[in-house]
Amino acid sequence: MSENLHARAERLIAQERIEGISQSERDWLAAHLRECTSCAQVAQQMNEALRTLRAIPIPLPRGLAARTQFRVQLRAQEMREREPKRRLLWIMCAMSWALGIATAPYVWRAFEWAGERIGLPRLVWEMGFGLWWTIPALVAAAVVVLENLRQAHERDQAR
Amino acid sequence: MADDNKALAQGLKRRDPDLLDQLIEQYQYRLFRYLLYLTSSRERAEDFFQETWIRVLERGHQYDGKYKFEAWLFRIARNLVIDWQRQKKMQSLDTLTDPEEGSPMEFAAQNQPSPLHLVLTAEEKSGVHASLDRIPTVYREVLVLRFQEDLGLEEIAGVLAAPLSTVKSRLYRGLEALRGAMQGGTA
Repeated sequence: MSENLHARAERLIAQERIEGISQSERDWLAAHLRECTSCAQVAQQMNEALRTLRAIPIPLPRGLAARTQFRVQLRAQEMREREPKRRLLWIMCAMSWALGIATAPYVWRAFEWAGERIGLPRLVWEMGFGLWWTIPALVAAAVVVLENLRQAHERDQAR
Repeated sequence: MADDNKALAQGLKRRDPDLLDQLIEQYQYRLFRYLLYLTSSRERAEDFFQETWIRVLERGHQYDGKYKFEAWLFRIARNLVIDWQRQKKMQSLDTLTDPEEGSPMEFAAQNQPSPLHLVLTAEEKSGVHASLDRIPTVYREVLVLRFQEDLGLEEIAGVLAAPLSTVKSRLYRGLEALRGAMQGGTA
């Protein structure tokens, strides 16, 4: 029997378990395995190894689920307590943006006036006006980042 | 199945405490087993087990129900282990790939016995078990996800954040390594 046939059989044995093979390939493989004892042995070894892999018993640490459930509940409670603070932050941001939109024409004139007084190029005070709008978002982002860093630090200490 | 996943996603978004308790019970064995394969340490696997569920609570809104929950769960667990490895060794992600692209993935410390070694009895450490023990972690991981956890190829790609072609190639090499190890050679 040619080497190519054995190589094809071995490839199909693996492919059948990984991706699946077509019916014609399955028929060919079955016929080949009936005739070729070495390839049949490869298929059997593969089946045995995978069966063993599936059946390996791993003892669970005692109370692991209960301890985890307790920690998760504590964390959930902590998050619920922090929720109003975060909501307040977003409400303040929204109010800040609303106020920003309402006062935009006045702020624009104020920037224009200040820019002319100081002698700044138009582009610079226009950019300043643009940055003015990002301040609430930057403050909110800074608060969120600091909060996340604090939580990560707490987790590291707990570990 | 899709409806179940959607309901699960909604429950996670609400941070439903009963649902989380139920999920912890339901997936405890599979998650612990996976973490044990990645870390080779029962203590570390326990720590990561708890951290994974805290992360599930915090990021539950990110699960959209399109894939199996366990695929998402394993991905969270894997990322935590990788983050820990990075912090510990200050190692770049590039070295956490696979042997043909660089250094072998080293979730498990080199000088520690593998998880298989830890849980097997003396009798079991011979034969096929010992062969499995010799397979590099990067291959054993995909074999575990495919043949123990019954995840589909795309789901494994999701867990590993790797292309489908990489998953297939690792599976083929993993099976070959398994067979090679069984015949007494080196994987």
